[in-house]
Amino acid sequence: MSARAEVLLWAQRVTGRKGATAHQILEIPTGANSDDARDAFHKIARMAHPDLHRRTLEPAELELVTTAYARAAAAYQEIRGVRMSTGRIRTIRDGEIAAPSAATAGTGDPPLRKPVTGPRSPPSTSIAPPNKLAAASEEPASVGPRMSARALHHYRRAELALSRGDLAGAVLLLRMAVASDPQSAFLRSALSEVEAEVTKKP
Amino acid sequence: MAVALGIDLGTTNSVAAVATPTGVEFILGARGERVHPSVVAFPASGGVVVGSDAKRYRLSEPEHVVHSAKRFIGQSTRAPLVQLALTGVHYAVVEGANQQPIVVMRDRRMTIPEISAQVLRHLRRAAERQLGTPIEEAVITVPANFTDGQRQATREAGRLAGLDVIRLINEPTAAALAYGFGRDRDQTIAVFDFGGGTFDVSLLRIDGEVFEVLASDGDFFLGGDDLDLALAEHLAGEFHRVIGIDPRPHPALMMRLRMGAEAIKIHLSDHAAAEGEIEIDMTIDTQLGQRDGGSDRIGSLPFALTRAEFEERITGYVERAMVVTQQVMAAARIDPRQISEVLCVGGTTRIPRVRQRLAEVFGREPNIAIHPDEVVAHGAAIQAGSLTGNLVTNSGMAARDAVATAGHSPLALGALALPEMAARRPVLLDVNPATLAIHTAGGYTERLLTKNAPIPIERARVFTTSRDNQTRVEIDCCRGEARRYADNEPLGTLLLDGLPARPRGELHIEVQFRVDVDGILHVRATDQTSGQQQEAHLQVLGAPVPGAPDATNHPAGGER
Repeated sequence: MSARAEVLLWAQRVTGRKGATAHQILEIPTGANSDDARDAFHKIARMAHPDLHRRTLEPAELELVTTAYARAAAAYQEIRGVRMSTGRIRTIRDGEIAAPSAATAGTGDPPLRKPVTGPRSPPSTSIAPPNKLAAASEEPASVGPRMSARALHHYRRAELALSRGDLAGAVLLLRMAVASDPQSAFLRSALSEVEAEVTKKP
Repeated sequence: MAVALGIDLGTTNSVAAVATPTGVEFILGARGERVHPSVVAFPASGGVVVGSDAKRYRLSEPEHVVHSAKRFIGQSTRAPLVQLALTGVHYAVVEGANQQPIVVMRDRRMTIPEISAQVLRHLRRAAERQLGTPIEEAVITVPANFTDGQRQATREAGRLAGLDVIRLINEPTAAALAYGFGRDRDQTIAVFDFGGGTFDVSLLRIDGEVFEVLASDGDFFLGGDDLDLALAEHLAGEFHRVIGIDPRPHPALMMRLRMGAEAIKIHLSDHAAAEGEIEIDMTIDTQLGQRDGGSDRIGSLPFALTRAEFEERITGYVERAMVVTQQVMAAARIDPRQISEVLCVGGTTRIPRVRQRLAEVFGREPNIAIHPDEVVAHGAAIQAGSLTGNLVTNSGMAARDAVATAGHSPLALGALALPEMAARRPVLLDVNPATLAIHTAGGYTERLLTKNAPIPIERARVFTTSRDNQTRVEIDCCRGEARRYADNEPLGTLLLDGLPARPRGELHIEVQFRVDVDGILHVRATDQTSGQQQEAHLQVLGAPVPGAPDATNHPAGGER
C-alpha cells in the first residue's frame, strides 16, 4: 500500500469514529499507559504529520489528515494529561473528568451554572444580558477518562487534597479510587504520579 | 526551483539561511556579516535604511530609529509589558485601531508588522542577490511563548514583505533541529535561549527524526537588552558623579551610554576587566540638566569595571532565568540528570556567569560548540528545505563535501549525506504555548487545550445555556492558567445568535478549539440542535485587522 493510501485510510478511520476514547483514537489497548501512548503517537507522527504531506495531498485530503492528526494529538495529551499538567500538581482539574453517568441535561446542577456577568467590554454589555455558557452536564464520550461514580467521588476528593497540598491524603484517596475502579488506567497513572511526588519530597 | 528562506527574526538581530544541496548557506550583509541588526531607520535625509547601516543612525537621530520592534508585535499597547518596553525606546509609539501599537515617524504612521516587514524585505533582497533567484517562501521562527496574536502579526509581516510564510516554528525547536537532525539520536535535551529581548527554555526529546517538545516556558521580557540597560543605569550614575550632569533626560546621551554598556558587556565575556572611555563627543543643553549656563561640550566618560562587578549587577536577571528553567523541568517531571545535552542559544549565553549557573543547574557543561546566534536560522533553513522538498533535489552530493565558503555550514552539526536526508524528513512536534479556555457562567474558565499540548491539535466540548430562553451566547476565549476568567488574558469573543428558545440546559453548543501547525487558534461553535455553526478567527487585541486597510497613510515605502 502506498504511503498516501495508508495515511488517507488511517485518517478516515480516525475521523469516522464518533465518541471514540483516547485509547481508541491512538489504536492502543485500554490499559495502555502514557509511554505506550507516546510510542503510538510518534508512530502516527512519522506517518501522518501534516508537514509530510503538504506537497503530495490534495487540499481536502490534507485537511482530513490534519483533522485526524489533531484529534490524535488531543488523545495523546489526554492520556498523559496528569503527568504533563504543569509543575503545580494541584492543576489536575475537573475538565479532564467526564461525568460518571451521563446525567440528563437540565437535571443535575453543574457547579459552573450560576449566571453571573463577567467583566465585559462596555459596548456589548449594554446590548446583551449575561450570555455565558454553563459547562454541560453531558459530556461527549470522547473527552475525559471514564471511571465509576464511586471512583470519581474519591478522585475529586483527591484533587481537593492536592489543592491543599496534602499529598499523603491524596495518595490514600487515589488508592481508594483505584480500588473502586481497578480498570481505569487514568487513575492508576494518577496514583503513580502522586506517589512519585511523595517520594521526591524529603 | 523554489527556494524557501529560513529566518530567525530576532528582537535585536536577525539571521537568514537556506538549505542547499551542499549544506546550509547563510545570507550575508554588505560587509560579509551573517547577523543583521533588526533595526529600521528613517533618516532625516529621507528613505528607509535597514540592518547594520541603520544602526549608525542610533547616535545621530535616535528618535528616527526603530529597534526592538519584536517587543511590540501583535500586542495591545495597553499590555503592561508593552508599557514597560515603551520606556526603553526613543521613537514615538501611539495606539491605533484595535489597540495596536503604531510607530510615528514624522508624517508616517506604521504598524509593527510593517516595521518587521522592512527587516524581512531587507533579508529577502539580500538573499535574492546572493542566490540569484527570486524568493517567495519562508519559514520564520518565533519565541516558543509567543501568543496567537504575536504569531498572526509575524505572519502578517511576512506577507507585507512579499513572502509566503509556509510555517512559523518555535525558536528552540529550530535549534534542536539544527543540533539533532540526521544524527539518529534518542535523547532528551534542553534548549536554553537567552537572546536580546526574550528568554525561554525548552525540553525536547529527540527520537530519531521526531523532535518532540516536552515542555517550554519563558520570560517574555528578559534579555540581553535588560543587561545593557542595567549597566547603562550604572554608567549614568557614574556620568552624573564625574561630569556633574544627569544624562537621563537626554535620549541621545543615554543611547550612547547604552551602546557603551553593550560593548563593555561583550568585552567582559572574554576578559576579566574592562577599562577605558566611552566616547560621547556631544554638546549637551545643560538647561535640562542640573547646572546653569547654556551648553557643555562633553568629550568622553572614563570607566573601569571588573567582570565580577558586572555579574553582580546582572545577577537578578540571571537568577530569573534559572528559576524559569527549574520550573520547566519540574513541569515536565524531568530530572536534570536525564538531560544529555544543554544547547545555548542567543548572545546572552556567552556571558560566563550564565554558563556557570547553567552548569550548576544541569550538573553538566552546556554545549558551546554550536553557534548561539546562528543555530536558530540554521534549523529554520532545514525545516524550510524539508517543507519545500528542496532537501531531496540534486541528491548524491554529501554535505561533508560542502565548500567552506563564508556563507556555508555543513547541514546539521553532524555531517549528513543528502540521500539519507531524503528518506528521513524531520517531524517537529511543537507545542501549544499556553492553556486556552473559555469563560463559563460564574466567572470561571473551562480549559479546552492545555499548555504544552502537541500541535496541531483539536478538541471539542459541549456546553449549555445558563438561562431559560437564551437565544444568544457569547463565547469569551482566553489564555492562561487561572481558574477565574478575569485573571487570564482575554483573546476575543465569538457570538452565536438566533438560537431557538429553550429552557436552560437544553441547548447543546459544541465549542471546538483547534490550534494549527503555526500555533494559531481557530475557534468554532456549533449549535447541535439546529446545526447552526459559527467559525471565527479570533480577532486578537493588538493584532492587525484582517482585510482592513493598513494603518499607514503613505504608499508602501521601499527600502533605499
